[in-house]
Amino acid sequence: MTLINLLNLEYLKFRKNVIINLLFLFFVIFFPSTLFTSTQIKEVPDFLPGNFVFFEFPTVWDYMGYAGNWLVFFFLGVLAIYLVTTEVANKTMRQNIICGLTREKFFLSKYAVIVVLAIFATLYYTIITVAAGVYNAGSFSYDQAFSNDMAIPRFFLMSFSYLNFALFIAFLFRKSGLAVFFYLTYVLVIELILRWVVHYKIHESGLINYYPMNATEDLMPFPLFYFAEAIPNQTLPFSFLLSYGEAAMIASIYAVIFLIITYRLFMHRDI
Amino acid sequence: MTVLSIHNLSKSYGKIKAVENLNLEVEKGQVMGILGPNGSGKTTTLGLILGILRPHSGSYTWFENTLGRNPRKKIGSILETPNFYPYLDADDNLEIVRRIKSSEKQSFDELLDLVKLTDRRKSKFSTYSLGMKQRLAIAATLIGDPEVLIFDEPTNGLDPEGISEVRRTLLDISKMGKTVIMASHILAEVEKICSHVAILKQGRLLATGPVGSILSNDITVEVASNDMVKLEQYLRSLPTLTALSTKDNHFECTVEEDTDVAELNRNALRNGITLTHLVSRKRRLEEEFLEITKNQ
Repeated sequence: MTLINLLNLEYLKFRKNVIINLLFLFFVIFFPSTLFTSTQIKEVPDFLPGNFVFFEFPTVWDYMGYAGNWLVFFFLGVLAIYLVTTEVANKTMRQNIICGLTREKFFLSKYAVIVVLAIFATLYYTIITVAAGVYNAGSFSYDQAFSNDMAIPRFFLMSFSYLNFALFIAFLFRKSGLAVFFYLTYVLVIELILRWVVHYKIHESGLINYYPMNATEDLMPFPLFYFAEAIPNQTLPFSFLLSYGEAAMIASIYAVIFLIITYRLFMHRDI
Repeated sequence: MTVLSIHNLSKSYGKIKAVENLNLEVEKGQVMGILGPNGSGKTTTLGLILGILRPHSGSYTWFENTLGRNPRKKIGSILETPNFYPYLDADDNLEIVRRIKSSEKQSFDELLDLVKLTDRRKSKFSTYSLGMKQRLAIAATLIGDPEVLIFDEPTNGLDPEGISEVRRTLLDISKMGKTVIMASHILAEVEKICSHVAILKQGRLLATGPVGSILSNDITVEVASNDMVKLEQYLRSLPTLTALSTKDNHFECTVEEDTDVAELNRNALRNGITLTHLVSRKRRLEEEFLEITKNQ
């Protein structure tokens, strides 16, 4: 079975799945709607010149990237988990294998889907961001529009990293509720506790930034953090954010590690 | 041709040995029944040979390794329950199976007709009764013209009508000359459908061979009389008697195959015993099964 056949098979499996369709639809609707929300913010912090930073090049890439950071993490991440756990719950994963799909092909089909989702999310981000920037500027200039500090590949890597982690959690826990709970809790709570309560207490260093989901978040960070970085006399003896290069490297290394662990787990376990 | 060859296959769950050093061969065209009480390792054995469970030791080969790394495309199987996408209809679910098996594009009219689901082909799988789900699963096993069909307790949970329909379909399939492997604890089912049996208990193979060879040639005779005490004395004196048990209102005795039952009746009369009930029949698989599993 070729990769295209595997993707077609996944499409046939899930095109009528209500939860998958809803999660995808929410992502598609909420992403551009963050622009409308931004127009409603009339009072911005003192260090921002005005709310036009949300729409003008190049800062629109950062603000839309940050909005995408949350939306990919939540909607597409949960969707990626559901792609696996629903097959476990319906026992269709074992039936697929019994019918003749090899474990390698089953695994590959799920990864092909998350790569396609990450590509889609990145293209969608690019289109929305360029459209918002051009609308705000009133004209299109390629140099102006795409002087964005590698935002497009960063967004892709961020998306893939979240979805890859989601698949790892899904293959590990196999039950929808448990997997979604752990995924959300790990990203929102557990890693923060590990970094700022456990690691920071043991060893105060920039290594606390080298955690998988923190590196992923730092690929498209909250733009106002850069203003915080610029404020002198901070108490931290290290940078609060990873550089884009560092974040990309660390996120990539973790992505490979998670992928290898997930593959080995799936290949050796009973289904 | 040996379709399936299992060598010293073992699988444990903690301290429980689900399958222990299992050796079994299935030849082309056989209808092999895997018999055993609940928990005897039937489903685990099927899970192992279908690649969804990992053995702790031992190995198995399909089709003498002539079909490469993925012979499962030539095997149609239902393991435990019928597993389909609940929000898809019969056609979509069968299409998924067809694509996985890389089989030629086909209309499923004939298959759905065979399992009597044509009228409900556009209904979601989740709306099917258990019998309909089981029949759809049987249809799915036939996609791609498989060499081997594997059924695990195919009539489990069905009502009498469903059981009868599924059995009829299985008999039709076995007549097509396909190799069939069927796990069941319903002995009458295996006796009706299978040409060969393998009897498992606590993960171990107790006996295997053609159904006829598993069944001994002894005869079971049911007898009753107005004087049951005298009848028992008479039966126990028979030189060809191998077993005697008391049922509700008669004795059930096993006698050697050359016993003349008419002579048995005449001798009883000569001994002053008038038989009120006399039935002679071949041993049933159930009796052999109980005998084999009792002694292990």
